[in-house]
Amino acid sequence: MNKLLNRTKGDKVIWGVVLVLSFISLLAVYSSTGTLAFNKSKDSSYYLMKHLMVLALGLLIIYGVHKVNYTKFVRIAIVLYLLSLPLLIYTLFFGATLNEGSRWIKLPVINVTFQTSDLAKLALFMFLARILSMKQNVIKDFKKGFIPVLLPVLVTCALIAPANLSTALMLGFTCCILFFIGRVQVKHILLLAFAGIIGVTGLFLISKATGFGRAATWEQRIKDFAGSDEGKDGKKKEDVFQVQQAKIAIANGGLTGRGPGQSLQRNFLPHPYSDFIYSIIVEEYGLVGGALVVILYLLFLWRSIQIFRRCPYAFGAFLAVGLSITLVFQAMLNMAVNVHLVPVTGLTLPLVSMGGSSIWFTSIAIGVVLSVSKYVDENEGKKKINEETKMKTPKPALA
Amino acid sequence: MTVKQDIRFRVYVAFTCICLLGLAIILKVAYIQVNEGPELRKLAKSMHTRTTLLPAERGNIYTEQGALLCSTIPQFDVHIDFSVIKPDTFNKHVDALAAGMAMLFKDKSADKYKAMLTDGFKKQSRYYLLKKNLPYYDYQALRSLPIFNKGKRRGGFIEDPKIKRINPYGMLAYRTIGLWRENSQTVGMERTYDSVLRGDDGTRIERKETGGVWMPIEGSEVEPQNGQDLVTTLDIGVQEVAEHAMKSVLEQYECAYGTCIVMEVQTGKIRALVNLGRQQDGTYWEDLNYAMMPTEPGSTFKLMTLFALLKDKYVTVDSKVNCQGGIAHFGNLTVKDSHLGLKLLSIKDAFAQSSNVAMATLGYKHYQSNPKKYLNHLHTLHLDGKTGVDLTGERPPRVKKPGQSDWSATTMPWMAYGYEIQITPLHTCMVYNAVANNGKLMRPYLISEVREYGKTIKKFEPKALEESIGDTATIRQLQECMKEVALTGTAKHIRSPFYSIAGKTGTAQVADKGIKYSDGVYQGSFVGYFPADKPKYTIAVVIRTKPRSGAYYGGTIAAPVFRMIADKVFAASKGWTGPLDSIAQKSDKQIVANYAPAASYDVLLRKMGGKAPETTNNYVIKVATDSNKKTIVQQAKIYAGMVPDVSGLGLKDAVYLLEKQGMKVVVRGRGKVYTQSVPAGTKINKGQNIVLQLS
Repeated sequence: MNKLLNRTKGDKVIWGVVLVLSFISLLAVYSSTGTLAFNKSKDSSYYLMKHLMVLALGLLIIYGVHKVNYTKFVRIAIVLYLLSLPLLIYTLFFGATLNEGSRWIKLPVINVTFQTSDLAKLALFMFLARILSMKQNVIKDFKKGFIPVLLPVLVTCALIAPANLSTALMLGFTCCILFFIGRVQVKHILLLAFAGIIGVTGLFLISKATGFGRAATWEQRIKDFAGSDEGKDGKKKEDVFQVQQAKIAIANGGLTGRGPGQSLQRNFLPHPYSDFIYSIIVEEYGLVGGALVVILYLLFLWRSIQIFRRCPYAFGAFLAVGLSITLVFQAMLNMAVNVHLVPVTGLTLPLVSMGGSSIWFTSIAIGVVLSVSKYVDENEGKKKINEETKMKTPKPALA
Repeated sequence: MTVKQDIRFRVYVAFTCICLLGLAIILKVAYIQVNEGPELRKLAKSMHTRTTLLPAERGNIYTEQGALLCSTIPQFDVHIDFSVIKPDTFNKHVDALAAGMAMLFKDKSADKYKAMLTDGFKKQSRYYLLKKNLPYYDYQALRSLPIFNKGKRRGGFIEDPKIKRINPYGMLAYRTIGLWRENSQTVGMERTYDSVLRGDDGTRIERKETGGVWMPIEGSEVEPQNGQDLVTTLDIGVQEVAEHAMKSVLEQYECAYGTCIVMEVQTGKIRALVNLGRQQDGTYWEDLNYAMMPTEPGSTFKLMTLFALLKDKYVTVDSKVNCQGGIAHFGNLTVKDSHLGLKLLSIKDAFAQSSNVAMATLGYKHYQSNPKKYLNHLHTLHLDGKTGVDLTGERPPRVKKPGQSDWSATTMPWMAYGYEIQITPLHTCMVYNAVANNGKLMRPYLISEVREYGKTIKKFEPKALEESIGDTATIRQLQECMKEVALTGTAKHIRSPFYSIAGKTGTAQVADKGIKYSDGVYQGSFVGYFPADKPKYTIAVVIRTKPRSGAYYGGTIAAPVFRMIADKVFAASKGWTGPLDSIAQKSDKQIVANYAPAASYDVLLRKMGGKAPETTNNYVIKVATDSNKKTIVQQAKIYAGMVPDVSGLGLKDAVYLLEKQGMKVVVRGRGKVYTQSVPAGTKINKGQNIVLQLS
C-alpha cells in the first residue's frame, strides 16, 4: 500500500477529489439503479458491482496514464485526433441508435460499446492544446493563427452535430473557452459564435424540412425550456416530465437530504443513474451535498490551474487547464440541466454518472492532467535539488 | 503584459465564470427548495402514494328456501402486450400455448390460435384483446400456459378483473331481481335495495416502491363493508311454474306481453312475478315490469263496483238486475256485453256471466249522482295510490275524479265495469287478495329479510294496509260471487275437480300508448284465488294480445294460465292429495292402487284409518295389499308422466331420468342432487324446466 502510495505521483488534492467523487458516485448509483435492476430481473447490487468495477478500472487508467511523461501526449494527441475522424464518420452511418441519435459504436473483439464523441472530445482537446501552444506567436493573426486552430474544431463538431447536436454545440462552446484562454482574439471568437448560430439554424431548418435528423427534438427541448405548452409529440411530455421530476427530487432534498438510499424520485425519474443523478444526490444529501459536489469540481479546476501556473511549457499548461476546464464545464452544465437553469441536453456528470466508456475517457483526461502535475512536481523538485546541490556542494579545493 | 500573464488572466476569467455558474446552481437548488418546494412536495406525495379503492362485495339475493337468485362472480378480460415477449421465447412456446388454449377453450383449433397469436406478435400489439369475460378458473388456467406464465413483464399477460352479476336461474324473475351494471341504469330489486346490497367500499393508501410496485402502507386500510344479502319472498318453484305456464300461452297466441303475480293470501308475499314481453324475434323475455304498469282493468274491476254496492247495502248478490239482452244506452254511448242475450238475472249470476250492462246500470243507478261515494270505496281499497310494493318503477294508478275536465257524464257507468280508470295488475291482485283474506288488505312485498353473513339482521313482516275493508257479509257475498264464476260463469272451464277456485275473468279493449280501441288489441285477465274455501294463493294473470288476435277472452287466454299455476302450486304444497280415488280404490279385499307421491298416500292412508308408509316424502310409491292383507309399499323409480325423485342421485343418472321424460334439466352447483325444483310425483309437462341443485 505504501509502495503504491509512494509510486502515485501528481497533485494529491486532485486524487482526493477523484476518490471522493467516485465514492459519491457509488452511493448514488447504488441507490438509483434499484428500478433498473428490478426491471431487468437483476440482483439489486448487480449495478453497484458493475459500477465498482468500472470505477476501479477508471482509477487504474488514471494511474496508468499519469505515469506517462506528458510530452509523449504531443504525438498521441495527433494520432488520437486523426483516428477519431474516421470513427466519427463510421458512427454517423453505422452507430447503434439510442434515443434516435446515432452515437454509439461497438468495439469488436472486446465487445465494449462506447460513445465516439467522448473519444473525439478528448482527442480534440489534446490536439488543441498542442496547436494553441505552437501558434502562440501568430495567434492574433486570422489566417496564420485562428484558421489552423479553428479547423480541427469545425471538422469534429460537424461530424458530431447531425447525430448529437447538443454535444457538438457544447464541444464548440468549450473550444471557444479554450480559444479564449489560448489568446485567440475575442472578435474572432464572436465571429465564430455568429457563424455557429447561423450554421446551427441552417442545420435545423434542413433537418426540419427534410425530416431527417432530430430537428423536432431540438425544437421541443427549447420550447420546453421556454415553458411553451405547444407541441404535440410525446418527446415534449417526456422532457417536461423529467424536469418536473428532477425538481421534485430537489425539493424533497431540503437542506440535508432524505438520507442515503432514501430517494423517492428514483422510481419516477427516467435514467436517474445517468443524466439526472445530480437531482438524486440533492434529494438524498440535500443542499449541502449538492453544494459539496459543485465545490469538489471547482476545487479540481482550481488545482489544475495551479498546475497550469507552475508548468513551464505551453503545451503542458494548455493540456492541464484545457482538459480540466472542459471536464468541469461539462459537470456544471449537467448540474445546470438538473436544476433547470438550461434546457435538457444529454450530458452525463463526469465521474459520477453510471456508464463505462465515458468514465474511462474522463479518467484518461484526469490521468493526463495528473501526468502534467507529476512533471511539474518533478521539475520543481529537480530545480530545488539542483539549487540545493549548488548550495551545499562544497567548492572543490583548488589544487 | 507578457504572454504568460495574459494567459493567466484569461484562465482566471474563465475560472471565475465557472465559479459563478456553480454558485448559480447552488442558488437555484435553494430557490427550488424554498420557493417551489411546498407545491412540488405536494405533487410528489400524490405521485408516490395513491388511494386504492377496496370494492365491497355486493350482496346476494336468495329465496326463502335458500336458492341463490343473484350473485357476484369475478370475471377477467385478458389482453396481451406482445412487445415484451422475446422473439425466441415466443417462437419456442407458441405451439404449446396455442395447443393449451385450444384445449382450454375448445372453441378454436390450435392452428387458429397459433395464427391469432402470431398475428398479434407480428404487429407487436401492446394491448391485444385475447379473451373477454373469463371465469376465474379459466383465467387461472390461461395464466399458467407457457409464455403467459412469465407474467406481465415478460409474458405480456395483462388482466383486467371485473365483477359481474349473474342470475343462476336465468330468465326466472329476471326483471324482478333486476339488473346491476357498473356505470349504468339499474332496475328491479337491485335498484330498490341498492343501498343494502352495495355495501361500503374500503380504501387503502399505497406507496410506489422500486420497480413500480405499489405497496400498501400498513395501518392505512379502511376495510370494505360487504353488501348485505337479500332474501326475497319469491319461490323459485312457483316462479318457474308461472313463467312456464305464461310462456306457453303467450307463445301459443303470439301475445304482446303477459304478467302474472302469485301472492300468498295471508301475508301479501309475492311468490312469483312474471313479466314476459314479446321480443323482435318472437321469443319472450323478462323485459318490463308489466305488473306495475297501470292499464284499464276491464271486467276484473267489477268486483270493486260490487264491493261498493254491497258495502253500501244498495243490493245483495241475490238482488235481480236486468241485463237488457246485453245492450244499454247511456247518453249517446252504448254498453255492450261480450255475450249478448242475458235477461233478468241475480247479481251473482250477472257477475258470473260478466255482464257489462248489469254493472254499468247498477253503477249508474247508485253512484251517478254521488260519484264521490264510489270513489271513497276505491280509496278504502287503496286503488287511488301506489300499492307501496318494495320494488322501484311502480307507476301510480289513474283514477278520474268528478270536477276534473276528463270526468264526463258516462264516466261513472263505464268505470263501474272497468274502463276510464287505470290501475296496475298488482292493484287488482292486492284487492282480490283482500277478499280472499276475509277483508284484510295486505301490502304486497318482495323482500322478507336482509341478511349479513348468513345472519338475519332485518325482517320485513307482512303489513296490513287495511285491517278490514268491509263487513263480513260483504266479503262473504263477494267470495260467493267469485266462486260462481269458476263454477257456472265465464271461467267454468278451468274448474278443477281437486280444489275449488274463486276469481273473475276480464276482457278489456285496449287503448294505450299508440293503441286505439279500434286496433282490436285486448287485455285478457283472470284474477282469483284458491282453494276457494281456504285460500292460500291469489293469482293475477294479465295478458295483452296481438292486434285482432283470434283468442282474447280472459277466460280463454288468462284463466288457463291460472289453472296451470294453481295445479302445480297445489301439487307441490304438502298435504294436498288430489282426488283420492284417483290414487287408489278399495275393492273387496285389497287396494287397487296407482303410483302417487308418498305425500298423497300419507293423506290417503290416514283417511282410510291405516298407517302412513314410512318413506321419504319425495318418493313416488304404490301401495298394494299383499296376500296377508297387509299393506305394502312399492317404490317406483320411474313412472311415465310423473317427475321422478332424483335426490341423492348422481348428476348423470338424474339427467338421464329427467330428460327421458322430456324435461329440460338446469344444473346448479356440483356433486349429487340435493333438491329438485319440481317435486317428485308431479305430472310432467314436456319441455318443462327442472332445476337441480347439487351439493
